[in-house]
Amino acid sequence: MSQTYPIGGGKGGSGKSFITANLGVLFAKQGKKVVLVDLDLGGSNLHTFLNLRNPERGLNDFLNKDCKNLDDVAVPTAIPNLSLISSTNCSHEIGNLFHTQKLKIIRAIKDLSYDYTLLDLGAGTIFNVLDFFLISNEGLFIITPEPTSIENTFQFIKAVYLRKIKQVLKQRAFNTFVKKLQTTTNKSIIRSPMELVEMVSKYNPERGKRLQDELEKFEFTFIINQFRKETDVTMGSKIEKLCNKHFFANFQFLGNIRYDERVHDSIYSRSIYMNKYPYSITAVDLQNVAGKITKIHQHHALQSVT
Amino acid sequence: MKKYEELNYYEALEIPFGASPFEISQAYKDALSIYNEDSLITYSFFDESERGLILKKIEKAFLTLIDPIERGKYDRMLVRTGEADESILIKKDRKKPISLFQGNHPKNRGLHLKKIRKKVEAEDMKTLSKEIITGDVVSGADLKKLRESVGIDLEEIFEVTRINIPILKSIEENEFEKLPPIIYLKNFLKSYSDTLQLDSNTIIDGYIKNMTRHRESA
Repeated sequence: MSQTYPIGGGKGGSGKSFITANLGVLFAKQGKKVVLVDLDLGGSNLHTFLNLRNPERGLNDFLNKDCKNLDDVAVPTAIPNLSLISSTNCSHEIGNLFHTQKLKIIRAIKDLSYDYTLLDLGAGTIFNVLDFFLISNEGLFIITPEPTSIENTFQFIKAVYLRKIKQVLKQRAFNTFVKKLQTTTNKSIIRSPMELVEMVSKYNPERGKRLQDELEKFEFTFIINQFRKETDVTMGSKIEKLCNKHFFANFQFLGNIRYDERVHDSIYSRSIYMNKYPYSITAVDLQNVAGKITKIHQHHALQSVT
Repeated sequence: MKKYEELNYYEALEIPFGASPFEISQAYKDALSIYNEDSLITYSFFDESERGLILKKIEKAFLTLIDPIERGKYDRMLVRTGEADESILIKKDRKKPISLFQGNHPKNRGLHLKKIRKKVEAEDMKTLSKEIITGDVVSGADLKKLRESVGIDLEEIFEVTRINIPILKSIEENEFEKLPPIIYLKNFLKSYSDTLQLDSNTIIDGYIKNMTRHRESA
């Protein structure tokens, strides 16, 4: 069964690309067929984490129709079973993707037939990022234990929710409900997507129910990256509790990934961290996280069979 | 999935219905660490009014559940509304807080006292004491003889009277210099003789007389 994991988290520099690359390496070493897609459009550097200087093919060849299938632009990496779809050879304006191009990419990603498809997303909450994140219900958030990162993560989650609500309700109904909520609460902006869900449920229970069902399908996971020894160890479980209580969805904490100076060394020397330091504490943490994801994956596979 | 406002107090604190007071206060502390206004995790999550409502609910949940009477009322309400099973009203399995100073109470005092009584009643204490105590002077050795003749250990005396064993020994060995001031000594002798069902006045007077006689001669 193929599984797509969008990897996002709002804040830049939290380690999304690093974790995408190294989780990809770990899954590939399990013997799974893995593809990494660099969707940090306009800021792509996933190839550097995998020690590929200039991938000869990439997303650009797919967008300008040189290659028909997205699969054709995937390039192999030094790791067997692991390929990369890079966006480094795209134009400098790729950050402002056209709507039709975005839809084309999303459709093509859904058609990829790998065991694992990992999407490395950019920072921020622009629609492109949100829509890529919503390709699958199994989004993975990367958080670092700093106020700024946590703040951005919650902004990102809320933005993802609002985007999803918009997708389910369709534009017009979404706008009407937003207006209604603005007038009843006397607020100019909608900060909490949950209020909107409640609003919909109140005026149109059937639609509200459908919306809630749709949101409950989310099975988000998150990782705390750059975990240092002075960090509160209960932080992950607290965030998990908080999200499960206040969003209509399932959030699962996958674990802490400890901070390691050598991550920087490996980036400087453009080598694959997992290969260079396979026994460091950070590598062990990554392995644990990969193991947990594999378990969830197997669980899903079992469920889809029965 | 339930909305936060609809959670009952147990759900808000994330504890089972049968939670002990200790678990309740622990859960309350945990909840505060999440929802507190300087909490790293939530300071950006809620606005002031939302946080205020949540903190109020946590406070109310804690104050209700930690008070046995209020908790009982609340539990009955939950049962009435069908939110909880009737079994939550049975408090038998609920852990109680450990009482303070538990270790300081002689747990088996009654038991030891009974044992001693039995031994004393088996012998004829009056004739025994008349045989051992001759004249109006009582020495430590006399007391020891009496105690041993009915087969009672120093430890047993200690369990009932809570007089330290070294002091009991000093009394019986006539080590007067190691004994406490006379006012305490009198009390100790009283409990000692009461335990052995001896006439406490005779013993106290006799013992003190013996002690002064020793001091004078020394």
